[in-house]
Amino acid sequence: MNIKIAVIQFPGSNCDLDTLYVLNNVMKIDAELVWHKQFDGSKFDGAVLPGGFSFGDYLRAGIIAAHSPAIDQARQMLNDDKPIIGTCNGFQILTEAQLLPGALLQNDSLKFICKWIRIRVDNNQTAFTNKMGLGDILDIPIAHGEGRYFTEKLKELEENNQIVFRYVNESGEAEENANPNGSLENIAGVCDLEQKCVGLMPHPERASETILSPEKTVHGKLFFSSMLNFIERNVK
Amino acid sequence: MRKVKLGDNELEVDLTENEITFIKNNLERDPTITELGMFDVMWSEHCSYKSSRPKLKLFENAEENYDYVLAGPGQDAGVIDIGDGYCLAFRIESHNHPSAIEPYHGAATGIGGIIRDILCMGVRPIALLDPLRFGPLKNNPHSQWLLKYVVKGIADYGNCTGIPTIGGEVEFDKSFQNNCLVNVACIGLGTIEDFKHAPSRAYNPGDYVILMGGSTGRDGIHGVTFASRTLTEESEEDRPAVQIGDPFTKKLIIEATLEAIKTGYVRGLKDLGGGGLSCALSELTGDGGTGANIDFNKIFTREPGMNSFEVMLSESQERMAFIVKPEGLETILNVFKKYEIAHAVIGKTDDTKVLKVYDNKNSVVNLPAKALSESPTIQREEKRPDYLDDLLSQETPNTIKSVKDIVYELIASENICSKEWIYRQYDHEVGVRSIIKCGDGDSGILRIIGTNKFIAASVGANSKHCYLDPYNGAKGNLVEVCGNIIASGAKPMAMVNCCNFGNPEVPESFWYFSNSVNGMDDLCKKFRIPIVGGNVSFYNEDDVTHTAIKATPIVMIVGIIEGEENIITLPFKQTGNDILLIGETKPELGGSEYHSIIHNLEGGNPPIVDDEKINTTWNFIQELYKKKLVRANHDVNKGGFLITIAEMCFKNKLGANLDFKEINDEKMRIDEFLFSESVGRFILETESKDYTVIMNLAKKNNVNIDKIGILISEPKINIKGLITNDFSLDVEEMEKLYRFTVPNLMEI
Repeated sequence: MNIKIAVIQFPGSNCDLDTLYVLNNVMKIDAELVWHKQFDGSKFDGAVLPGGFSFGDYLRAGIIAAHSPAIDQARQMLNDDKPIIGTCNGFQILTEAQLLPGALLQNDSLKFICKWIRIRVDNNQTAFTNKMGLGDILDIPIAHGEGRYFTEKLKELEENNQIVFRYVNESGEAEENANPNGSLENIAGVCDLEQKCVGLMPHPERASETILSPEKTVHGKLFFSSMLNFIERNVK
Repeated sequence: MRKVKLGDNELEVDLTENEITFIKNNLERDPTITELGMFDVMWSEHCSYKSSRPKLKLFENAEENYDYVLAGPGQDAGVIDIGDGYCLAFRIESHNHPSAIEPYHGAATGIGGIIRDILCMGVRPIALLDPLRFGPLKNNPHSQWLLKYVVKGIADYGNCTGIPTIGGEVEFDKSFQNNCLVNVACIGLGTIEDFKHAPSRAYNPGDYVILMGGSTGRDGIHGVTFASRTLTEESEEDRPAVQIGDPFTKKLIIEATLEAIKTGYVRGLKDLGGGGLSCALSELTGDGGTGANIDFNKIFTREPGMNSFEVMLSESQERMAFIVKPEGLETILNVFKKYEIAHAVIGKTDDTKVLKVYDNKNSVVNLPAKALSESPTIQREEKRPDYLDDLLSQETPNTIKSVKDIVYELIASENICSKEWIYRQYDHEVGVRSIIKCGDGDSGILRIIGTNKFIAASVGANSKHCYLDPYNGAKGNLVEVCGNIIASGAKPMAMVNCCNFGNPEVPESFWYFSNSVNGMDDLCKKFRIPIVGGNVSFYNEDDVTHTAIKATPIVMIVGIIEGEENIITLPFKQTGNDILLIGETKPELGGSEYHSIIHNLEGGNPPIVDDEKINTTWNFIQELYKKKLVRANHDVNKGGFLITIAEMCFKNKLGANLDFKEINDEKMRIDEFLFSESVGRFILETESKDYTVIMNLAKKNNVNIDKIGILISEPKINIKGLITNDFSLDVEEMEKLYRFTVPNLMEI
């Protein structure tokens, strides 16, 4: 079957072309850039909400894009068992749209941070982590000013296994020094109850080629290969 | 400033009496108030280069002398052909005056402006670099405030537009206390086809003129005349002359412009920066040999009631002017509609060679299109400052401090320490092109996807050296920045510069400018490096104290590396490998960080550039690279070569055993030997098995080379062979000092 993935382009998205490049050229996936107003979810098997500053992040990061018609399409796709991932600004949009729980607040340093960090896989059952091992440590960069994860329903998230990634140190411990932005419980990414929708602050598309990776790892590819695996499994 | 009376109106202008007479004679009438305002802006130093133009003639003709230069000085950006059908556009510009008054928006709109310059060459902006200058940080809340908000301004704007900031450099010196420098550079990448589609000219009569982007408001009126004066106590009142940026709109403009160019219907393109519509329209038509008829009422404004004077002079951000083929009008407008960007067809080009603006039936502007760009030049006087003799004759005092303490003090000093606090705030990875992370290389390095080519770019200047000797200082800047490019594995291909100086009306300040230009010109000619663009920022001088900034001719070099395997980074890699010092160390402590930090001295003998030695060194390094004999390379810069070695040890936590017994045979003083900032030197890591081959090559090339030590796994730099006792430097402790200086000063 021919799997087709949409990269949804909001005004102000700026990791859209990067994500498209990685999907097409590194992962060899049939992916297409779609302008948010023209997005028709029924034509795609999965979607990526890329990073950037949708609508300039004016008012609050992600909130204006959360009211785009593309979000209704995304909601419908999830109902149809199609996977959706939001990275960085895409994650902010998904939380603002309440497709994912919690909120992303300004970093505790009050500054934008761009650096490579490590995250640990705390749920490898989702549509975007099923090719990862539980407890695996991934090298991946962050680049955000508003990435401090917060939720009032921590207990619920834990019980429902919705915490997908945590910021960790070299030994895989989610300790304070490994937390780049002050996120609650070092949370770097979460999923919805059905585990088909995943959001995270780090950038998988920047961690998918050895040439870009300080440790020469390509852990970003695992997100997209997991997505393919999920879609193929679903079809069967 | 002088008042000019025109009928019932009175206007304050910076134009001189002579210039006003010249305008009246040329027009054979009195200009209208709007026209006079336009002349005032276009003939400001910032727009017209009237003081610097006679001198900058030296840089002309890059297009004729170098076959790969597609656009040279005088265009919005320099453009070079890098093969495989691709071209690079790049430019550097100053945004000093606005940033000194309003650091956040001053810096942000500086980024906005330089992005537009690249965009209007028809290519995608892919990288930013920012050289900055402030007063010392320590105990200096003013400098801390400036640094904090300049960096935030650059970060917020650059990050939002999705253009990575891949490099830059900073100096802290008291001469920048009241005149900080914010220089901004941008690199664009595109196909040669894209570039050819979008000249900054309106060659054809009958094309539509479209204004697109932000609305025209009352902000930024007279920004350029403000930048062509010295800052005074009253400059705070000029804050309305600083524009407000909108990076979100800019991001849409970038995408819409590139999409519009792809349609093939765009025939000319110009950004609205300094001088606003006056500048854009007169340059499009004047340089294209056409004229235009503009309907003032079509220009969309931010507030009602703006008159033609305000509209023509507004420097509101985020605006572009398009010249569009008649048959493509609808297609182009649809692109702008898709991105929901405001736009209006404001007129048409014609063959009159006259720029006409009508308010209903009333003519408010009727000027020969070329008149605005043909300002008379001014021959400035130059005079070597009297104080230089005293400065140059300063001798290095003795010190009771140990070498170890000195090194620790230097590595923690503001001009040498890590600038991670700054670059962590810049998204330096967006675009998936940045393959060397900040701090790992001497240059920013970007891949060109779809080819085997890599772009290396670096910027810099040493204002302390230039202060003592602008000719050799400017040459030294070039040698250092080219050194960064060469160390990374690239060949320097082209240069742009940003000349930051004091008041050109002061002969001493102009002398610095003139000699710096001579230095750059001589070195570039010698090494066949085309100068493809530049910017001059004068009047960086404090009106109250009458002190000018130290001369700061910033240079930016780009080079190309063929093949990933040919990229060399600076961290030391392997225990047991040799450490080589290439290039000659001379007793040149003048303007060094050692003099400044340890002795509080500004003077002494600054480094002199020996062109021939530099040439042989560069050829030698490139030969070593070709033979794949180098594992790490870092050019020696501020603080001298021990600092260089320490920086190379940090990343992989290695150490070194250094032995200088046979090395310092000239018998320089220890401090001269260790802390001299002689230019054109490199520290290399090579494998011991290659030692003989390398030494023979060096001998053949007549290059100064010394094996000064080997790498060890313990993170210590053990030094022996000096007349002092042997001693040891702790790499981890130095790294702490290196990393935490800026955070400790800024995070209070």
